[in-house]
Amino acid sequence: MVEDIATLVTSLGFPSIESFLGLIILVLLIIGAIVVIVTIRPVQNIFPYTYPNARVRGRAGKIFTEKQFSEIIEAGNIDEVKNYLRGFPDYAKYIDQYPLEKALDTQLAENYDLIARITPANSRDAFKFLLKKWDIRNIKSIVIAKKAGLSAEETLDLVVPFGDLTAKLDALVDANDINEVLSALEGTEYTSIIEDAIPVYEETGMLLPMEASLDKYLLENLLRTITTPEDDNTALLKSYVGSMVDAANLKIILRAKVDGLKFEDIDPYMISDGYQIREWKLKDLMEAEDVSGVVSGLEGTEYAQVLSEAMSQYTETGSIGAFETALDKNVSETAKRISLKNQFGIGPMIGFLSKKEKEIKNLKIIVRGKREEGFTPAMIKEMLI
Amino acid sequence: MVEVALGTALAAIGAGVAIGFAGLGSGIGQGIAAAGSVGAVAEDEEMFARGIIFTALPETQAIYGFLIAILLMVFTVMAGKALSPALGLVAIGAGAAIGFAGLGSGMGQGIAASSSVGSVVEDPDMFARGIIFTALPETQAIYGFLIAILLMVFAGIMGG
Repeated sequence: MVEDIATLVTSLGFPSIESFLGLIILVLLIIGAIVVIVTIRPVQNIFPYTYPNARVRGRAGKIFTEKQFSEIIEAGNIDEVKNYLRGFPDYAKYIDQYPLEKALDTQLAENYDLIARITPANSRDAFKFLLKKWDIRNIKSIVIAKKAGLSAEETLDLVVPFGDLTAKLDALVDANDINEVLSALEGTEYTSIIEDAIPVYEETGMLLPMEASLDKYLLENLLRTITTPEDDNTALLKSYVGSMVDAANLKIILRAKVDGLKFEDIDPYMISDGYQIREWKLKDLMEAEDVSGVVSGLEGTEYAQVLSEAMSQYTETGSIGAFETALDKNVSETAKRISLKNQFGIGPMIGFLSKKEKEIKNLKIIVRGKREEGFTPAMIKEMLI
Repeated sequence: MVEVALGTALAAIGAGVAIGFAGLGSGIGQGIAAAGSVGAVAEDEEMFARGIIFTALPETQAIYGFLIAILLMVFTVMAGKALSPALGLVAIGAGAAIGFAGLGSGMGQGIAASSSVGSVVEDPDMFARGIIFTALPETQAIYGFLIAILLMVFAGIMGG
């Protein structure tokens, strides 16, 4: 037997059995190396997300269920709502510290902040930029508060202590008018936006253009942070941000059409390059005669279906709210799709943020319902998203 | 210097492959499971014990690889047995069987364990189902382990 093997090895051109075995071992080593590389590669994409996803799923598990929402809705008054929320450590830490709405927003902002800190490097820039949402929200609140003549203390109750501007919040809150707000913002990326918006504000007294410019700055630059996706995860993040950008553009166009505004009135506030709705399409939509022209102009995109369903509701009620609700629902559906499709990557984080936003919006609806007279639990339930 | 027969040297390579690759898979799998568990514990301290259980599951592949490596060494190198080159190749086959099976099984189990930890921290009722799903990728390692044992027994390395 051994001699047969030796003869076979020699007939194959090997001088000895040792050299033949050497070759076999070398081949096995190469195969082993290939197996290891091929097997490990997919894990390299999964590994950075395991820690953040576990944390995020831990928080997602604490999002209120329908039953819990029903219990909150049944609360007799605002204090009972507060007491209910005190039973949850995530809310309890803010409930006694801040007014209720601020406590809810702060809890939401804390989650954005957590994700920006723990997300893997390839999506960190986008989530960090998303934190500017709170800067913009704070600037809007401060400007509105100054216009309404609120005191520094009252203004402070409106701002959320998250974002890049936390160090400047005291100066912003203490400002007496919009010009002082502008001085306090000196050196930040928001100065030029506010500067450009002040003449319009002084002329018309409307804050809407300033708010629209700030929203445009956030979404336009957020989309830029992920212009060229590095991998599947950033591509999915781009599609999520893209759906937010498209929704924002469509809301502006639809609102403008209801108010009878023309192309040149709304063009400055459009986010120049949408995601599914590109620049040329946006121009077509802005030039549409009315709301139905906008909806029919969307034929061939996923928004045609989304908005045509809301169109009948709009025709009945004349309220633009139906479109806004449909577009918001589409953004959360996109988030849900991503979270189911990409469970080992960025999916759970996007899904969680979307769910958390919805939870806070619903809690605010309940709080408003409890604060104002005449809203029964059934009516509040009807208003929930 | 001790003279080692070529076949015995090949069996030593088999032992290395067995624990090397199985340990690699187990280590990566356990790392993934541990990263998920740390995240879960950061959110909920009560997850510590369950996190440890899920993190420990991908350990088994390394144990199988370790056992095969020990058996190979005990019956060849440590027994001072001069194995023929053909038996040496069988030993490499046995080592590769548990090594590669443990590599895939360990990594798969780690991913399943990490995902299960996420499910459990989201919904504690998922614990038992998480354990079942996480245990499934164990089977590949068991196949590899069985084949390695059978190869060693029937080729005469063990008990021969």
